[in-house]
Amino acid sequence: MNPQALMDGLITGSMIGLGAIGVTLTYSILRFANFAHGEFISWGAYFALAVSSALGYLSGGLLTPIGPFSFGWSLPISAVVAVALTGGLALVVDALLFGRLRAQRGTVIIMVMASFGAALTLRSLLEFIFTSKPAYYSKALQIALPLGGGLRATPDQMLSLGLAVVLVVAVHLLLTRTAIGRSMRAVSENQQLSGVVGIDVRKVVRTVWVLGAGLACVAGVMAGLLVQIRPYMGFDLLLPLFAAAILGGIGSVPGAMLAGLIVGLAEAFAVQLVGAEWRAAVAFVILVLVLLVRPQGLFGRPE
Amino acid sequence: MSGQVVALSTRALVAGYERDLPIVRGVDLDVKQGELVVVLGPNGAGKSTFVKAIAGLVPIHSGTTALGSLDITTVPAHKKIRHGLAFVPQTENIFGTMSINDNLLLAANILPKEKRARRIAELYAMFPDLAARPSLRAGQLSGGQRQMLAVARALIVEPSVLILDEPSAGLSPKIVSEVFARLKQINETGVTIILVEQNVKAALAIADRAVILVEGRLRHEGPAATLGDDPIVAELYLGARREPKTVTP
Repeated sequence: MNPQALMDGLITGSMIGLGAIGVTLTYSILRFANFAHGEFISWGAYFALAVSSALGYLSGGLLTPIGPFSFGWSLPISAVVAVALTGGLALVVDALLFGRLRAQRGTVIIMVMASFGAALTLRSLLEFIFTSKPAYYSKALQIALPLGGGLRATPDQMLSLGLAVVLVVAVHLLLTRTAIGRSMRAVSENQQLSGVVGIDVRKVVRTVWVLGAGLACVAGVMAGLLVQIRPYMGFDLLLPLFAAAILGGIGSVPGAMLAGLIVGLAEAFAVQLVGAEWRAAVAFVILVLVLLVRPQGLFGRPE
Repeated sequence: MSGQVVALSTRALVAGYERDLPIVRGVDLDVKQGELVVVLGPNGAGKSTFVKAIAGLVPIHSGTTALGSLDITTVPAHKKIRHGLAFVPQTENIFGTMSINDNLLLAANILPKEKRARRIAELYAMFPDLAARPSLRAGQLSGGQRQMLAVARALIVEPSVLILDEPSAGLSPKIVSEVFARLKQINETGVTIILVEQNVKAALAIADRAVILVEGRLRHEGPAATLGDDPIVAELYLGARREPKTVTP
């Protein structure tokens, strides 16, 4: 077996993990599985593409690759803008759809069905605006560098992996060490009591949308940088995202990231062991196994 | 301890989860500053709904609630505490997955930054049981300690009015007397307390005044010291639960 599967799995897993954090936060606070979350990944990637292209048009120098990487300064700048835009998109979707359903005391099944509708709409809009033709942030070729032990990775891949680790630590610290993090955990546990102690639950909900969508955007930019940008890129990640969120334990940020890495590694090794056509089935198998054996996941608490 | 200034009042308060099915049906109540008032009544009288409506957790369909001279009828629950109204629910009144300290920090969040640590230290001094293990997960506390944490959490903001919904529920008689003794101490510091209780004897022992709700209406009130012997109370409150007379052959 080729040890490179380990690196491939870690890289895919870091993207899955970042997306799964948004899924797990949304689920634990809003109490529904948001099937539109994958679209925030796609929209984030396309927002960054649009802004990066515009910046490149305004100043060609911004497209010149930075050091060993395949992209210029236009991409990090556009990624920051895209995070804000994706967060804004999530707030708009919440204001137009989920927020109204919450106000009408919509049941979980109504919220889930609404999220399917939102996903279809957002994906169709992307195809309408950008077409379904794959796009790239950069067409510069990169040589994978040897890391020892038979592992190789491109500078873009190593940067993505490092960024994922930094973001997970940052989100974990946000949740455990800050006032807004404590408020998010409180709302996740008991919304009514949160109101009683003075927490503005609506503000917390908005924060969760922005945070989850922002992380989804970063995952989208990473996927766009390392693979390609397509309207279906988020949809294709949806099952692994949910598998990771549930395996990690709903509400657990480190759990989501760790589980994302597990799912990514399982996918990569499955490609080597049983063939690439089984890759998509791996997340499904993990999801079913977790639900049967340990429904609360690795770090979750039983209901 | 109580003065003449009204700390909390309700006027013709109608409240309930459904508009066409009010549970509280036109309650007028004045609670004076520093007073400890116990709300009594048979099961289903609307006691909990009444205090939840004041706290902003149950929709108010008509009437008003006021904190001093400030109308708080439409103030959302999370803002009422900023005006000095603290509420301790009957169940699930702490965040069980979080530490004792995080529970207090959450409540302290609405205080100015420079005041938070000092206030939490004051609360720990007041509740030494909690101070002993601040990093303990609150869900691991005993029933009595949970109530103490819930009360401590509510007191963080130095409220003018503290409302408690059946703090004795599920506690042993010994713990109930400890909790009530602590509530009396808090009341003696000037905090106005409204207490919903099923444990009539224990509640009347610490209260200044009692009001009796029956079917969502305030039917009787009087000084706590004499209300226990009032025959109307037996009729309104105990009478609702009185067993039918048995005929001895």
